[in-house]
Amino acid sequence: MNARIGRDNIVTQSLGQIGNCGLFLLQILAAIPRSLRHARETVRQLWFVGAMSLTIIMVCGLFVGMVLSLQLYHVLSIFGGTAATGTVVAISIYRELGPVVTALLFAGRAGTAITAEIGLMRATDQIAAMELMAVDPLAYVVAPRFLAGLIAMPLLCCVFCALGIFGGHLVGVSWLGIDNGTFWSNMTATVDVWQDIINGVIWKSLAFGAVVALIAVYQGYTAPPTSEGVAYATTRTVVASSIAILALDFVLTAFLM
Amino acid sequence: MNAAAAPSDDTLIRIRGLTTVLNGKKVFDALDMDIPRGKVTAIMGPSGTGKTTLLKHITGQMRGDAGQVLVDGKNVPELSREALYALREKIGYLFQNSALLTDFDVFENVAFPLRQHTKLPEVLIRNIVLTKLQAVGLRGAAALQPSELSGGMARRVALARAIVFDPMLILYDEPFVGLDPIALNQVLKLIRTLNQTLGITSVLVAHELDAIKQVADHIYLIANGKVVAQGDPQTIADDGSPWTRQFFGGEADGPVPFQYPAGDYAEALGFPRGEA
Repeated sequence: MNARIGRDNIVTQSLGQIGNCGLFLLQILAAIPRSLRHARETVRQLWFVGAMSLTIIMVCGLFVGMVLSLQLYHVLSIFGGTAATGTVVAISIYRELGPVVTALLFAGRAGTAITAEIGLMRATDQIAAMELMAVDPLAYVVAPRFLAGLIAMPLLCCVFCALGIFGGHLVGVSWLGIDNGTFWSNMTATVDVWQDIINGVIWKSLAFGAVVALIAVYQGYTAPPTSEGVAYATTRTVVASSIAILALDFVLTAFLM
Repeated sequence: MNAAAAPSDDTLIRIRGLTTVLNGKKVFDALDMDIPRGKVTAIMGPSGTGKTTLLKHITGQMRGDAGQVLVDGKNVPELSREALYALREKIGYLFQNSALLTDFDVFENVAFPLRQHTKLPEVLIRNIVLTKLQAVGLRGAAALQPSELSGGMARRVALARAIVFDPMLILYDEPFVGLDPIALNQVLKLIRTLNQTLGITSVLVAHELDAIKQVADHIYLIANGKVVAQGDPQTIADDGSPWTRQFFGGEADGPVPFQYPAGDYAEALGFPRGEA
């Protein structure tokens, strides 16, 4: 009986969190027109969450492409199909690995930083100070970070994909000896711009960027103003973002395929 | 708005029947208070009586369960977001913990309200900010980051930020905590100067009676959710009521309990009754 009450509480709390997060999204959307006068802040955040994430995205993209090419070469060589390595690397990265891994890395690198920063701003009364200076924190603090996440994610995903393909080429062509022309021509013949690039890279990364940025700003804004509260909020950002990215990936794939 | 409750010209803040219950505890119990325009008013009282909470009601950060909080004729709890922000542009607020924006240096912290609400040329912003920093003795610290400031310096920067707009009202929440005697004296002078030269109304929440006596025109002593004594510093000092005697005499015994409500002491220590 007690276990059931506990389960019910968790379900109710989770649904309540999702509902509050949805309402918070509406508040952010309403604040976006007001945030346009703080364009410099949005650009600053874009630098912080986008440009500062480039190194980890590039390194991870390179290694994901390299390991993918290595694995596929050995599997495809069983069937004598190593010529398809470039094609499979490209489709895997464009459709799934690019947006998903970029979003997971983005949540770990930028999402946690956003949550911790906003949480600490609340804990140290900086948010309250802004409100008392008649500066709307939703327009000045939250909306620029949300917009920066939304803009940065597709750009980072493109960089990840480019480095992933480069890594795949490095291993497949330069190391394992696949013909360079075969690698590229099979890839360009099979990859569909609409299906793989627009649906796979752009739409998915936009959706993941919105979800990660929303979870990050919501957790930070609603974090209890204590060191423990900020720590829990940061953890919740990673956990909730990871689950949301993978669940949303399935839904989007089902609809976009 | 109730016409009968509208403040007269010489009353900037009028609080009537303010009742607030937080976590089941009545913080304010039909509190009435008038803050005169152009004067320095101090709000004093034992810790936890809701002095900072009262400031939050004045700025609209909190709303009471009943009653009116009229600031410059406007009932704060009923204001729309836009009207509340317009009112806040005329109010300076000094936080207990300074609340400086950690992304910016001292200069940008003081310039922040000007940049947000005006389109003044950079030269003018620079001159205003340096003037305010000079007033609090920190012009030379303009390039420092908040993390490089001591508690007292951060408080003075926050004070410079609070007065950067020359507001009609400044609310000081514990302005004297952490200040050395020199800085304390300068801040007292500054509060008095702002009041005398610009006619700025000041409301101070503080415990330092000696400092308050030097600067305040009027003192409110609040306890148990009500005003228990009020008047000019001399009147309050001569009042002789149990409240003022205990508070200003620093006595543990009196109408304000020193101990937070608790169970039997001997029992808590594990002694049999009568052995503690």
